[in-house]
Amino acid sequence: MGLIQCNDVCKSFGEKVALDHVSVDIPKGKIFGLLGPNGAGKTTLIRIINRITIPNSGSVLFNDRPITQDDVEKIGYLPEERGLYRKMKVGDQAMYFAQLKGMSARDAARELKKWFVRFGIESWWNKKVEELSKGMAQKVQFITTVVHNPSLLILDEPFSGFDPVNAQLIREEILRLKDEGATIILSTHNMESVEELCDNIALINKSHVVITGGVDEIRRKYGNNNVELVYTGTALKPAAGVFDILSDNDDAGRHTAVLALESGYDTNKALREILLQDVTVNSFKELVPRMNDIFIKLVTEEE
Amino acid sequence: MKIRNIKTIISREYMTRVRKKSFLLTTFLVPVLFAAMCILPSVIMLMAKDSDKKVAVVDQSGIVMPYLADTESVDYTDYSTVPVDSMKASFESLGLDALVVISPIDSVAKTVSVSSYSAKPLTIELEEGVCSKVNDAVEDYRLAQYDISDLRQIMDSIKSDVSMSTYILGESGEEKITSSEVYMMISMVLSIIIYMFIAMFSGMVMQSVIEEKASRVVEVLVSSVKATELMFGKIIGVACVALTQFFLWIVLTLVLVGGFSAFVGFDSLMGDPAQTEQMMEMTAQMGGVDMAEMTASMQEQEGMGAVLNTLRDINWAQMIIAFVVYFALGYLLYASFFAAIGSAVENEADTNQLQMPVTVPLLLAFLIAIYAFNAPDSPVVWWGSMIPFTSPIVMLARIPFGVPMWELVLSIVLLVLTFIGCGWASAKIYKIGILMFGKKTTFKDLWKWLRQN
Repeated sequence: MGLIQCNDVCKSFGEKVALDHVSVDIPKGKIFGLLGPNGAGKTTLIRIINRITIPNSGSVLFNDRPITQDDVEKIGYLPEERGLYRKMKVGDQAMYFAQLKGMSARDAARELKKWFVRFGIESWWNKKVEELSKGMAQKVQFITTVVHNPSLLILDEPFSGFDPVNAQLIREEILRLKDEGATIILSTHNMESVEELCDNIALINKSHVVITGGVDEIRRKYGNNNVELVYTGTALKPAAGVFDILSDNDDAGRHTAVLALESGYDTNKALREILLQDVTVNSFKELVPRMNDIFIKLVTEEE
Repeated sequence: MKIRNIKTIISREYMTRVRKKSFLLTTFLVPVLFAAMCILPSVIMLMAKDSDKKVAVVDQSGIVMPYLADTESVDYTDYSTVPVDSMKASFESLGLDALVVISPIDSVAKTVSVSSYSAKPLTIELEEGVCSKVNDAVEDYRLAQYDISDLRQIMDSIKSDVSMSTYILGESGEEKITSSEVYMMISMVLSIIIYMFIAMFSGMVMQSVIEEKASRVVEVLVSSVKATELMFGKIIGVACVALTQFFLWIVLTLVLVGGFSAFVGFDSLMGDPAQTEQMMEMTAQMGGVDMAEMTASMQEQEGMGAVLNTLRDINWAQMIIAFVVYFALGYLLYASFFAAIGSAVENEADTNQLQMPVTVPLLLAFLIAIYAFNAPDSPVVWWGSMIPFTSPIVMLARIPFGVPMWELVLSIVLLVLTFIGCGWASAKIYKIGILMFGKKTTFKDLWKWLRQN
């Protein structure tokens, strides 16, 4: 069952349609990738889930009932455009955001201390934000997003602005929060992290959902039954009715070939056929398209 | 609307402001300034007393000297028997500040000429004092030349000294002594404070909205609380800062002035303690009013009875309640406008154009209020005190002169209704504006946002 279900959500600003009958189902306890080119309507959808914006029509269900203002306390939102009060002390600021999310002052202080220790930034508590570097401020902002232990986390480009070390730290935290049962919406242009982190995705382009579903399922769906074969021996010949050879790279006797399987997708049959020929198989790998390629294909197809 | 969220917002808005150095500085420096304004005239008077001027007089006419009686600040000594030249050479070594020489009487013009010599320039007070006394002497001398018997009695009986007593006929027909200057003064003070506070603190709201938008904090905020909660929390938080500052100003000024008077012990100089207190209170509220006017009225000893009567008769309770109500409503109205304007821009430089329709009525209200000091019953002032955009300031200017209850109620009801309408509209603009970036906002955009849902 989905934690968040958007049903036929429409939103327009004046003449401009931002979302056109958008339906997505965000499963509980999973990481959901929200993809799409700039200006596709992702931010509008996120704001509707956050109740910052009210849709013109359609409904948003949270835990199977219409979302209410009280539910926003269970959401943590890290917007793409980050911002903290520059003149305010880090600790006061974190306390403020935590309290706005419904935490008592005592709970907020206790939880924040934990997070500050985990990130190794206890000494920043009394610093003003303007004294911090951009990366440091991002860490503080991440903490303010997750401190109230939200059941839904919405992260918009969470890795931007972090160096590789800190990006890895954030990645691990995201996975840890998922293990603890949080549902995470990840909006990003970084397709590698989508492949690495996301269980499901929705691709939005020009105000509507182009495709939604499990990452593996989608990748396989857009795959074209190709496999990559690395072998040594004499050059492989195509086997009629089983596979065709699209390319074969001979690198001093070590071949890397791309085979297009025919007659469905029977890899065992293909392997048997290959072994009949005079070759030694080094590797046999299903060729699944990268999310990046699927993204580009789907978005440009619509042009 | 969630009360808990609004409380959290109010307390942040309040705490970050009252902890600021600039707030502490103005809160503690302004009372020092006010207190100085109250205390200085007295101190100056004390100082002046200590350094009495000693003036030598060589009266060759023989008629002036009897008129030159010592005053509080000047001692005249008769050196008529000493030759002028030797006096000129020696008056300084005798410890005298100045030498005044009066010529013998010119028998044709029946007048004298006066010259003064001193190392340092004489004060105007001294010069005028000597001149007027010499004139008195010459006038009396000339009168005496007519040789009319009983002249003095005749002159005394002719002399007139008329002053006007102003009465206001109350509804029950009783007569009261009033002093219209007191009304003017209170009216001026009230409208200046209310104008200052509305302009200053609404501006602060706008600044803070712009800051949140420009630093992009706002998107996180509205993901936790409703935009309307944020806007009204901010407006109320800043209002609390205003009231705190106002309260501290009055208390600190009273403490400073009270402490100083007790320390130096010259209550007698300050006059009636009740009146002093009123004066201090008024001074505390003034902020930027012409100081000369203040001291002038403080020193104005004549008519003090009437002033005190007036002060006693003013309906202070009504005035204080009216002040609080009109400040609160006027501030709410303007602060919500300024919040909406702040939400529509990305930096303060862009506010100028959008601010115009809001600052113009505010300024207009102030101008009408100034007019009301002189003509509290003119139609412009009456309408100004009814129209909600000017009424907080103009009505406060009218109140000391007496305003019928129904007019007060009507004006407040209109103001409340306008606030509800404009607050709602501002919240709508604010809600959309704070998330709009990129293109510069025009009035057309604001109108579009207002109609969006």
